[in-house]
Amino acid sequence: MSEFLHMGKYAQYVWPAYGIVLVCFLLNIYWARRALAQARAEARRRLAIQKENE
Amino acid sequence: MAWTWFHRLGSPPYVYRLAQRLTPWFAWSAGIILIGATFDALVLAPPDYQQGEGYRMLFIHAPSAWMSTMVYTTMAIAAAVGLIWRIKVAHAVAASCATLGATFTAATLATGMLWGKPMWGAYWVWDPRLTFELVLLFLYLGYIGLRASFDDVQRADRASAVLAIVGVIDVPLIHYSVVWWNSLHQPASVMKLGTPSIAPVMLIPLLAMFLGCTLYFAALLLTRLRGEILRRERAATWIREVLAS
Repeated sequence: MSEFLHMGKYAQYVWPAYGIVLVCFLLNIYWARRALAQARAEARRRLAIQKENE
Repeated sequence: MAWTWFHRLGSPPYVYRLAQRLTPWFAWSAGIILIGATFDALVLAPPDYQQGEGYRMLFIHAPSAWMSTMVYTTMAIAAAVGLIWRIKVAHAVAASCATLGATFTAATLATGMLWGKPMWGAYWVWDPRLTFELVLLFLYLGYIGLRASFDDVQRADRASAVLAIVGVIDVPLIHYSVVWWNSLHQPASVMKLGTPSIAPVMLIPLLAMFLGCTLYFAALLLTRLRGEILRRERAATWIREVLAS
């Protein structure tokens, strides 16, 4: 296991690289879901205002 | 008759519902493939005869680079379709690409730097491929900044589309930079004509990464697309229906 974590002598380069990409994957999921939720909330507000004006 | 599917793809309610139905399929297949490919890349694939374990950065660096250019190309084509045929959904697709593309371009540069230091001896060199990839990051950031400078979505769509289309010239420059100029960067192993110059035990996890990343992009694009469609739509009836579900 420690040999695996050691990655030859490249641990200090390999693991940060994998970490950066993992963070990118997770952040984009979070951002995309948040953007959709915000757009839905905004559309709801707009519909409510339209209803009041009708 | 053959064109009805194409016309339906211009219809916001149809695309919204299609995106909603397809997203979980893309998301789950992407998740499974990416987890399997990561295990293969880190554990099963043998070390390289020259770079030892250090070459394992290939399995995330090359797919990140693929994402950075593939997403940009998608964005530019969608922007062109939106600009030429005035299709709102196409503009919404283009707008959905930018953040994802920008982050993976940054990831390509960062992983490339971490790979360059032990193998080349430097984090950064002003090599044609590295420089054009950096230009791509600025194109994405410019696109995002330009969009943010407009309050009106339609005007943001048109202005940013022009930037996206002009910037697409950078994609072939990145791809062929290692052929056209003397480059420190290695030439293509997979994305070229002829047999890939990489052993099957290393090629399989790499191709799985490419596939997983593309499916992941599809899932995220469709999620963002729904939000972008809602921002562009004023007709209330179908929005009321989809928000209720």
